[in-house]
Amino acid sequence: MKGYLGVDVGSVTTKLALLDEHEQLIASIYLRTRGNPVDMVKQGLREIQKQISPEVEVSGVATTGSGRYLAGVLVGADLVKNEITTHAVAATQHIPDVRTIFEIGGQDSKIIIIHDGIVVDFGMNSVCAAGTGSFLEHQAERLNVKIEDFGGHALRSENPARIAGRCTVFAESDMIHKQQLGYPLDDIIYGLCQSLIRNYLNNVALGKEIQPRLVFQGGVAFNKGIIRAFNEVFDSEVYVPPHNELMGAIGAAILVHEEMEIKQNHHKSKFKGFGVSDIEFKTSSFICKACPNLCEVSQIAADGKVLARWGGRCDMWERVPES
Amino acid sequence: MRIGFPHFGNVYIALKAVARRLESPGDVLITPPPMTQHTLDLGVKYSPAEACLPYKLTLGSLIEACELGADVLIQARGTGICRLGYYAKGQEQMLRDLNYAAHFLTVDISHHKFIGIMRLMRDVTHNRTWHEIISSFFFAIGKLSALDRIEKVVHKIRAVELEKGTASRIYRKAITSIDEATKSKEVKELTKEYIEKLNRVPKDITAEPLKVGIVGEIYVVIEPFANMDIEIELGKLGIEVERTLTISRWVKYSLFLNYLGLDEWRKVHKLAHAYLDHDIGGDGWESVGEKVLYARNGFDGIIHLAPFTCMPEIVAENIMPSTKEDIPVLAVTCDEQQSKQGMLTRLEAFTDLIGFRRRRGEHGRRV
Repeated sequence: MKGYLGVDVGSVTTKLALLDEHEQLIASIYLRTRGNPVDMVKQGLREIQKQISPEVEVSGVATTGSGRYLAGVLVGADLVKNEITTHAVAATQHIPDVRTIFEIGGQDSKIIIIHDGIVVDFGMNSVCAAGTGSFLEHQAERLNVKIEDFGGHALRSENPARIAGRCTVFAESDMIHKQQLGYPLDDIIYGLCQSLIRNYLNNVALGKEIQPRLVFQGGVAFNKGIIRAFNEVFDSEVYVPPHNELMGAIGAAILVHEEMEIKQNHHKSKFKGFGVSDIEFKTSSFICKACPNLCEVSQIAADGKVLARWGGRCDMWERVPES
Repeated sequence: MRIGFPHFGNVYIALKAVARRLESPGDVLITPPPMTQHTLDLGVKYSPAEACLPYKLTLGSLIEACELGADVLIQARGTGICRLGYYAKGQEQMLRDLNYAAHFLTVDISHHKFIGIMRLMRDVTHNRTWHEIISSFFFAIGKLSALDRIEKVVHKIRAVELEKGTASRIYRKAITSIDEATKSKEVKELTKEYIEKLNRVPKDITAEPLKVGIVGEIYVVIEPFANMDIEIELGKLGIEVERTLTISRWVKYSLFLNYLGLDEWRKVHKLAHAYLDHDIGGDGWESVGEKVLYARNGFDGIIHLAPFTCMPEIVAENIMPSTKEDIPVLAVTCDEQQSKQGMLTRLEAFTDLIGFRRRRGEHGRRV
């Protein structure tokens, strides 16, 4: 049986999804990146291997997310795709009538506008990380609430506190102020959810034509409080698909399936195999002093051999001696 | 006099060409080093935080010129409803505070234009004849037009070359050779030679590259450092770039042809008319008009470059998505906080978007 693997390395979490030829999910794993994408990809591969029967042959691998280039080198990707496209592909495949995708992840948030099944516009947060998963997590920690319980608290709120949502720093100080005034925890938490949605709609979604059906994906879609806040703003219900957190990885797997099968690509997959998890990879970075730009160049090596470099302003370091 | 200036695309080639003809032992041109992170750091350090990227970069470049001993600085001035009007004043004040004894000579680009430039050239070269001045001016403009012509070909080749980076390498060589040329005839020959060289680059003949038009504020559109080499990055993604905004074109029309009634800008403004019927400062009106132009010429998409906090472009940007021309627009904001990685992710997604659109147009379905 053939399988197609999507690897989504985000800033906060790493997701892997394996689809069969009929694009059904047969294995998946959701891990925290914890600042160590290399180990997480390796661990992810090990977990996927455990979940599947040995007959499954991986016939295509695609990587996505902010760590897509690094992950691509690690696993031997056939396709490296940006996360906007993969999220859109997964959503249009599963929810054919989708018009708007809200995607809120660990450190970025996006909006994707779909028309007749294709992306016509998109937006991505550029200046502020308020409203993203990491910020919510940080606040949950500060309030001594488990992030998993965050939604439950938000749903119980009856008089949400008004919290300034323009900026994470202001939101935090405003929250502290409300706490000191004695607002109940539930109301502060839901107030925070509301302010984050306001921030999202005023920044990322500004000027975008938001039409139903609305789909909400990404890790933050687990948060019931955020869903409630979304639903209060729009007339139509926000739909959260099953596997909302895996959509990027699923989209990548769908795209590599198309690339390898439908386009009659007879090349064999470049997938390095599950054995990758036993290879020692070494990542490092250095400052290039060839000119006053002082670019920070990162590289990844295995067995003392450099596999790839990136991060320079010019193409001086991009070429790596062929192995 | 030791004359310095801020970098702006290939303008230094023109100034060096003039200097080559008019320089005397007492009056020399100081070319600041190419713009780098160091230039930007200097500019950011000594500019108000809310100033725009062109202000910061030109200030950084002027400081670098002063470091090399420049005592007279050339800067543009204008009365468009844009901050350019006070660039020179603000920067002069800052340089004085930093104890650089430099004196500013400003060129009014919205009024005196050609006459203003001629007068400035005569002022800084003392006793040169009008003939010498005018002929060196045209020699310099010839170099800029040559480079713009070559770059136009580079934009096409980058999208389809088999070995990525070849066209850019040839272009870099062309810049050096044209910079070194001493006669107009030589410039013409070099132009031909390099265009031929570019056309011989091995390319993917089956490719039908996506075409993207670039519009926006002139400084960030023309200076590659300001837009993080967006044209090169688009070329790597297999996209053919077209940009009507070039320095030689600006010179040709703003200084000459407009007065003869061949007003290119008026044509662009006319196209913008349905959405915007008056000047909003900077290059805002042109941005809207050019967008319409690209849409009607069958382009796949448009990239709108604007400095962060640039009022005219913010207005132009917000008028653009609401236009009914049915063409995707990606707005890219240029400032010192922008990360190249973030820009690349957006460019990749935009490439997919316009690619899907084109294929659906051809086959009536996705992919």
